[in-house]
Amino acid sequence: MREETIVAVATPPGEGGIGVIRISGPQAQAIGEKILRHPSGKTITTWPERKVRLGVVISSEEKVIDEVIFFFFRAPRSYTGEDVLEIQGHGGQKNMELILSAAMAAGARPAEPGEFTKRAFLNGRIDLAQAEAVIDLITAQTDLAHRAAQEQLRGRLSDYLHQCEEKLLAVLAQIEAALDFPEDEIPDLDRKEAMGTIAEVAKELAALAAQAEKGRILREAATVVLAGKPNVGKSSLLNRLLGEERAIVTPIPGTTRDFVAEISNLQGLPVRLVDTAGLRETSDPLEQEGVRRTWHWVEKAELILIVLDAAAGLSAEEEQLIREVKEKKRVFIVLNKSDLPPRLTADGVAGRFPGLPVLTVSTVSGEGLEDLEEKIREALVGKDFGREHPVIVTSLRHKDALERAGSYLQDVLAGLRDGLSEDLLSVDLRAALAALGEITGRAVSDEVIAAIFSRFCIGK
Amino acid sequence: MAQVKIYDVIVVGAGHAGCEAAYATAKMGYRTLLLTLNFTNIAFMPCNPSVGGPGKGHLVREVDALGGLIGRVTDLAHLQMRSLNTQKGPAVQALRAQVDKRRYQEIMLGILEREPLIHLRQGEIVDLERVGSEGVSWRLELSTGIILEAPVVILAAGTFFQGTVHIGLVSFPSGPQGQHPSVSLPQKLAAEGIRFRRFKTGTSARLRRRSLNFEAMIEQPGEETPHGFSFWIPWQPRLAASCWLTYTNERTHEIIRKNLHQAPMYCGAITGVGTRYCPAIEGKVVNFPDRPRHQVFIEPESAGTDEVYVAGLSSSLPEAIQEEFIRTVPGLERAEIVRPGYAIEYDVVAAEQLTPFLQLKECPGLFCAGQINGTSGYEEAAAQGIIAGINAGLYLKGETPFLPRRDEAYIGVLLDDLITKELDEPYRVMTSFAEFRLSLRQENADLRLAEYGYKYGLLADAEYERFLAKKERIEEIRATLEKTAFDPESEAGRKITELTGITLKQRISLAELLQKPGVSFQMLQEVYTQLPPGKDEGRVVENQIKYQGYLTREAKMAERLRKMEEKRIPPGFDYNQVPNLSTAAREKLSRVAPLTIGQAARISGVGPADLSALLIWMEARVNR
Ligand SMILES: Nc1nc2c(ncn2[C@@H]2O[C@H](COP(=O)(O)OP(=O)(O)OP(=O)(O)O)[C@@H](O)[C@H]2O)c(=O)[nH]1
Ligand SMILES: [Mg+2]
Repeated sequence: MREETIVAVATPPGEGGIGVIRISGPQAQAIGEKILRHPSGKTITTWPERKVRLGVVISSEEKVIDEVIFFFFRAPRSYTGEDVLEIQGHGGQKNMELILSAAMAAGARPAEPGEFTKRAFLNGRIDLAQAEAVIDLITAQTDLAHRAAQEQLRGRLSDYLHQCEEKLLAVLAQIEAALDFPEDEIPDLDRKEAMGTIAEVAKELAALAAQAEKGRILREAATVVLAGKPNVGKSSLLNRLLGEERAIVTPIPGTTRDFVAEISNLQGLPVRLVDTAGLRETSDPLEQEGVRRTWHWVEKAELILIVLDAAAGLSAEEEQLIREVKEKKRVFIVLNKSDLPPRLTADGVAGRFPGLPVLTVSTVSGEGLEDLEEKIREALVGKDFGREHPVIVTSLRHKDALERAGSYLQDVLAGLRDGLSEDLLSVDLRAALAALGEITGRAVSDEVIAAIFSRFCIGK
Repeated sequence: MAQVKIYDVIVVGAGHAGCEAAYATAKMGYRTLLLTLNFTNIAFMPCNPSVGGPGKGHLVREVDALGGLIGRVTDLAHLQMRSLNTQKGPAVQALRAQVDKRRYQEIMLGILEREPLIHLRQGEIVDLERVGSEGVSWRLELSTGIILEAPVVILAAGTFFQGTVHIGLVSFPSGPQGQHPSVSLPQKLAAEGIRFRRFKTGTSARLRRRSLNFEAMIEQPGEETPHGFSFWIPWQPRLAASCWLTYTNERTHEIIRKNLHQAPMYCGAITGVGTRYCPAIEGKVVNFPDRPRHQVFIEPESAGTDEVYVAGLSSSLPEAIQEEFIRTVPGLERAEIVRPGYAIEYDVVAAEQLTPFLQLKECPGLFCAGQINGTSGYEEAAAQGIIAGINAGLYLKGETPFLPRRDEAYIGVLLDDLITKELDEPYRVMTSFAEFRLSLRQENADLRLAEYGYKYGLLADAEYERFLAKKERIEEIRATLEKTAFDPESEAGRKITELTGITLKQRISLAELLQKPGVSFQMLQEVYTQLPPGKDEGRVVENQIKYQGYLTREAKMAERLRKMEEKRIPPGFDYNQVPNLSTAAREKLSRVAPLTIGQAARISGVGPADLSALLIWMEARVNR
């Protein structure tokens, strides 16, 4: 069975202007012949590669659907590595759907999410890191995650790692060439220079790996839990941060019986906000269960906002709660209802819990909310994250590979220092390259042979 | 009809693969005909008079450990021996010999002639057909009308198949060094459905020794190496001849550059694929224009002749141009060419048709070995020869094939690479190809392989007993090193500090001491004179102890590999059934038809995604 031909709209839905439909697979040209005509109405018989051409899309009843421009890419010189037909028509949901159904009537099947990318990867048109970035892009939920995905897509991580790989390969090729061709004029390995190169790469990898935890937050969304006594305004705060009325708010204590978890875009950062049942001693079994679940979320959270009612004062239970949670997790104390006459002041609370940030807000007036968002973001990923445009590692698998590569490089450095023989140095250097290869998809064994012959004149 | 001469095995070609193959099948008890186009040229070395080096030397040791010939014959025929990479760690240390080519042939011929089951014969095959109703047999016809038949035929025809020699713009059908090419047999094989590819190799001119001025060159004498290649015969180092080093210069390069239009590699006359590791001087000058000079080695061809080999100046330029550029090299100003360098194009069997034990998949009983499979080098040929021979014998016995693993021998690496990597140049073994390089050392080749050599009948009882005794001594030394310890204040302790410069802080065993950098087994012998003797054994133990950590790591890796190798892919498996395979992987897997998931993983173009798709599918349907 040959690969099926797939079709999908390539531009995001709902946007005006131009809409792009992409068809990929062995039937791409045949489908084009069925659904496209010259503007004059004549059938199209020639399919030159990569040429902009004008045409019209017709339905199965030969009715003109849209005036379009189209491109044909012949395998393997296309994004997916298969024959690809790209049709640019007038955007707009309805029009796109008509073109899609014409393509499907002609034999294409709708693509699954990420299927173009999968094909591109399987056909070797993009590497693993790029492919994963596209998949991230498809599932990305907020702007910054989107940008991280796009950056990776542009091969930033791969490019960046390729540079590292090249540097390591140069050292390895030098070692290997001398081992395999001792009678050719291969210069001896300059150990000091090699140590410099490797230390530099190791440092770069360590910096990248350090980024990965933040990258993961971009990818998987950090969990921020709102906890506190009943009626302090947790649900109100959730709604404000989400920008929509998601949780029920009433003046009755114990309103929220079960948690509400929702992804929010906090200044470009995806955050899973969790509103919980207010914590108090209770005999109501339903409420007891809610309290149990609250604790469960506290365990999973990256950050806990303990909400206090500034107009109500600090109870012994609340004080106990704060002390208990801060042992386990990062905690912000949020003084809510600052629009009412205060019984608690920020300084007063801060004095009781040295080291814990205390923020004053009002979900009614909106005071302090922006500052709260800013502080949450800072606590999760740091001040400059995403603003200075670093290469972001978003996958834990990548982080693991980077760390392994780094630790092998430390072994190489130690070996270089201790005068370890070159056949042994090669072992760890290869292991480091293999780890990087898990990200970039390059195979050390082939690369090193090529590097030897391109760098050194071999053969007596 | 002429009477049919029947054998168990017919080996076609008596080069380095053919000789090993015939010797192996004869040792396994099979009547073997070793057929050669020219009886004078048995075990002929058409290129450099040298055997060994990193990787290649390892192969020689392994063939020898299995009971093959190349090691012993090289030891007996060597003119000088050198140890390479002595400063670079035990895994890559290797021997390289300069060999007296004529003596090599004589000794090899003598060994083969003494084998009662080997029949040597000169003849050219003009016809080949499959015969026999129960069990396939192969019938061969010689140009003289003689008919031969055997259930096993081992093709070891080197570069003779459809050979075309190029010298400048002149080209003509020829085998190596002016020998008759083989034309009919490859046609008959093609008719059997066997597919060929075209490869290219070359050699340099040979000069008259008396015409050279050695004062202008640097002498490279041999060394008294502690051992030779062979584990089985006594080692007698010889310093019978030197090599000489000189260099090309800008004038040399200028002449070559000016005449590239007459170089068959550059004017389009040659379409076959050449090698990167053994380039003609034309290639070096073109690809490395910044290099002001290239090395040239003058190597003796034989003690009995005046002919010398010129390593480094392989060329297929016109003979007159070869003479011209050769004479720009210091010491070669008046050089007289006795044979010109040339390039040769020849047919090789496309490797995807082979099983890893070198049988043609579609032709039961038909094996291929040596350069015909797309390798280069005497050592690679010999390695395949012995493997084809042993497996031909096992085929006749109806037993499972012998296939050393990648973690077991360079031979295993070679065989696996040959059928897994799709070669785009003649294959030469390199230590860089061996992922278990630290385990595959030249000094432990017998420990890795001698058991097999004995099991298959290639090693004699006496040899095997010696091997077992050696193994025992190794164990004894190891045990002694582990249990013997000294205090810092003891006499031995002071001796240790004196010899090694290490100040002892506490009681230390000799094994622990040996792990320290700079400490050798030899030093321990001086510290503790009661150590069991054994130079070779000591070397083995030294490496085992010094590199223990790395060896354990390789052993773990090998274990993982073995698991992948245990996941067998049924023969004739249809990759079209498996969804989610990339088109490229599907095509390659179908072509290479790997035997195991492990092998599939090594095919370039088969990525991790393909592998998981394949594994998932197999787990779900095949392996249930
Ligand atoms: N004045 C004032 N009232 C607020 C503010 N935030 C919340 N409230 C009120 O406080 C009451 C309780 O608010 P909720 O958001 O339901 O409180 P909660 O913490 O979720 O309570 P439970 O779900 O019962 O645990 C409601 O009547 C809100 O209108 C605020 O900033 N100022
Ligand atoms: Mg609530």
